[in-house]
Amino acid sequence: MVPFLIFLLILSLSVGLLSWRRNRRLLVEARNASQARGAEGTNELAEATTDRKRAEEERQALSRDLQESKAWLEEAQRVAHVGYWVWDLGTDGLIWSDETYRIFGVTPQDGLIDLDKLREMIHPEDREAVFRTAEEAIRSGARADCEHRLFRPSGEMRVVHSLGDLKKDSSGRPCQMFGTTQDITERKRAEEALRRSQFYLSEGQRLAHIGSWAFDESGHYWSEELYKIYGLDPQNGAPTVEQYLALVHPQDRASMAETIKIMLEQHRGHDLIERIIRPDGQLRYVRAVAVPVFEQGIFKGFVGTTMDVTEHELLTRELQREKAYLAEAQSLTHIGSWATNFHTGQMFHLSDEVYRLHGFEPNQGPSALERFWDTVHREDEPIVRATLENAIRARADYDIPEFRVCHADGSVRFLRTIGHHNRSGELGDYVGITMDVTERKQAEQERERLRQLESNLAHTNRLNMMGELAAALAHEIKQPIAASVTSASACLRWLAHDPPDLERARAAAIRMKEDGNRAADVINHLRSFYKKGTPTQCEMVDVKDIVREMTTLLRNEAFPHSITIHSEFDGDVPHVLADRVQLQQVFMNLMLNAIEAMKETGGGLTIRSGPNPERQLLISISDTGVGLPMEDTERIFDAFHTTKPQGTGMGLAISRSIVESLGGRIWATANQGSGATFCFTLPVEAEEHA
Amino acid sequence: MKSAPVPTVFIVDDDLGTRRAIQDLVESVGLRAQAFATGQEFLDRRHASEPSCLILDVRLPRMSGLDFQRQLAETGAQIPIIFVTAHGDIPMSVRALKSGAVEFLTKPFRDQDLLDAIQQALQRDIAAREQQAEIHNLQERYQLLTAREREVMTLVVTGMLNKQIASEISASEGTVKIHRGQVMRKMQAESVVELVRMADKLRLSPRK
Repeated sequence: MVPFLIFLLILSLSVGLLSWRRNRRLLVEARNASQARGAEGTNELAEATTDRKRAEEERQALSRDLQESKAWLEEAQRVAHVGYWVWDLGTDGLIWSDETYRIFGVTPQDGLIDLDKLREMIHPEDREAVFRTAEEAIRSGARADCEHRLFRPSGEMRVVHSLGDLKKDSSGRPCQMFGTTQDITERKRAEEALRRSQFYLSEGQRLAHIGSWAFDESGHYWSEELYKIYGLDPQNGAPTVEQYLALVHPQDRASMAETIKIMLEQHRGHDLIERIIRPDGQLRYVRAVAVPVFEQGIFKGFVGTTMDVTEHELLTRELQREKAYLAEAQSLTHIGSWATNFHTGQMFHLSDEVYRLHGFEPNQGPSALERFWDTVHREDEPIVRATLENAIRARADYDIPEFRVCHADGSVRFLRTIGHHNRSGELGDYVGITMDVTERKQAEQERERLRQLESNLAHTNRLNMMGELAAALAHEIKQPIAASVTSASACLRWLAHDPPDLERARAAAIRMKEDGNRAADVINHLRSFYKKGTPTQCEMVDVKDIVREMTTLLRNEAFPHSITIHSEFDGDVPHVLADRVQLQQVFMNLMLNAIEAMKETGGGLTIRSGPNPERQLLISISDTGVGLPMEDTERIFDAFHTTKPQGTGMGLAISRSIVESLGGRIWATANQGSGATFCFTLPVEAEEHA
Repeated sequence: MKSAPVPTVFIVDDDLGTRRAIQDLVESVGLRAQAFATGQEFLDRRHASEPSCLILDVRLPRMSGLDFQRQLAETGAQIPIIFVTAHGDIPMSVRALKSGAVEFLTKPFRDQDLLDAIQQALQRDIAAREQQAEIHNLQERYQLLTAREREVMTLVVTGMLNKQIASEISASEGTVKIHRGQVMRKMQAESVVELVRMADKLRLSPRK
């Protein structure tokens, strides 16, 4: 467009100039002719008048022509934004066309233009260059050609392109410069915009690591960035298919060759990720997209983009690896992770392990939350739902330590699930984990079974121990008694001799006395065993601890007989100085007796402890069982006194020994209703002695 | 005149009181008694020349009375044993009696029971000693026989006639007759029946 305008301008200018010169010549000729005719005579006046008239008409016609031409010229100048100017080098006077005025944003009415004014209007940075160009042209005679900026009086800046040709007078000296000035502001702006957009495009490609290419019959175009991606030199031009394939990673080469083949033969595009090895050896991942171009159904070529996705790809691979590790860890530990909204039923994340924990195949798992609910054991569902609903309402975290799920194959697993309320999220938004605790649960059950066994053993052991103790005791006591009896027999026999052997009889009697004392010693020794205890084992004992321990230990004993164990602590239960094991034995004896008494009927075992008015710790163990024998209740504490078929008759006796050795007292009372209450006291050490 | 040896009652019990009481009881009936705290002491000190028996406590330190009984049997020491125990049970007593114990008494026992058991045990020991002495005597006589005479004796006690014996040992009937007379004389046997009883006590078995 612009070159055409310039052409038009030059054309109009030449036409204008030509017609102006022609008219002017005609005018001069006409004037000369009329002057000549005037000198010839007046008789020729009429003729002359006619001539003049004709000449006038001609002049008017010419003037019209001229006016018209001038108008066209003006129009052409205006359309092309080209003005002309004449610079008289002798006077430095300037003649501007209307368009030139318009370009400079001034009007002829504002006053004649001169060099100073012109200089002022030219952009200060360009001023010197403009005049230097002009001077250069004047000196060399060559055409002046320069682009420069100017400021209109309104302050608006324009960019113009000026050309100037030198005119010489008859002596060959430069006298005039004729030139044009074209307003190229718009063109400049367009050029600038184009340049900028191209810059942005290439910069964008550079930043995004995206290169573009086009391929058609006219050739193969590669963008700058594309060369950079492949590590190629743009100087060498776009590579051939063979050269290109050489860059592709050997493992991807065959498939890429196939892709290119299909692309060329079937005009089919592609979008794939391939590995390339740059000439410098660097491995890069690129995403190559090719799109075929059709014009009116006819294949024209391909356009495409190639993006360097190495970082992205490496990250993706890293992510996939991490995910695989995580899945592996989850499957090893049987812990699944999830994120869901219980309110809307939306599931945002479910790891494979969650599916497996609920007995589903990960890739064939359900898409609805309800199907997970279906696996929850019917007995556990209400409590799980209630816990969940409460947590959701309170927007709180929850931990369901144990619930059962039933797998399709009929197996039952114990799960634990922990949910964290997503605080920034909406109602019911939870993230959490679910884990399989079946093994732990089984281990717990096994442990419980073992503990029970242990407790049973302890009980049996205790009975055995009592048996052993009784046997040992029997032996120890029997020995001196037997010796004494034998000595008595010998004594009698010495006395029966004739005469009686008094010396031997006396000796036998002395041995009888010794052996009798020995038997008593054994019993005293046994009593002192409990009386003295072992002082080093005495410590400050919290009776509450012992009650709890014994309750736990004997619960298994009580449970099968529908006996409940209940303990009450009255205020602050003070610590007592005692041998922990002995005190445990007292509790065990009394509690076992109570359980024994209720075995047939079931009932309640209540342990109360608290300080009594005498500043002692009073402990009572009540049952609702068969109660006490009618006879003297004190007798029940005697050794070997038993009312039970399997009893050793030692339990209460030992308990009394222990309690008394600790400075306490033990007694039993019959309850108002059914059962009995055994009480014992333990002295409380003053705090400062503790 | 050589008086009959006084029988001795040995007592092994770790309880001093019991030991002394039993010893005294035994002495009160005119028997000799010797008491030891352990089986080893008894083995070291006892003299087997006179009839004796052993009152043994079942529960002894280190080695139980039953084990000691077995040890005695293994060494060939033949002494009748009366077991006493402060706490014995039936299986224990059965085991003791099967192993040859005379009696198994539980403390405290009746004095007469122990004394009866002692009597029984001593008689058993006397009988055993007499039997042992007779065998010893027969063995001494048997030692006097020549090899040929022993051969003839072995065949005579099976009831063979002289003629059969002669063919058996490839000798003349007369020679057999002479050997046979020597055997009867050296063994001091009045009849073939007595010789058979002697061979039985000597546990001679006919040659195959």
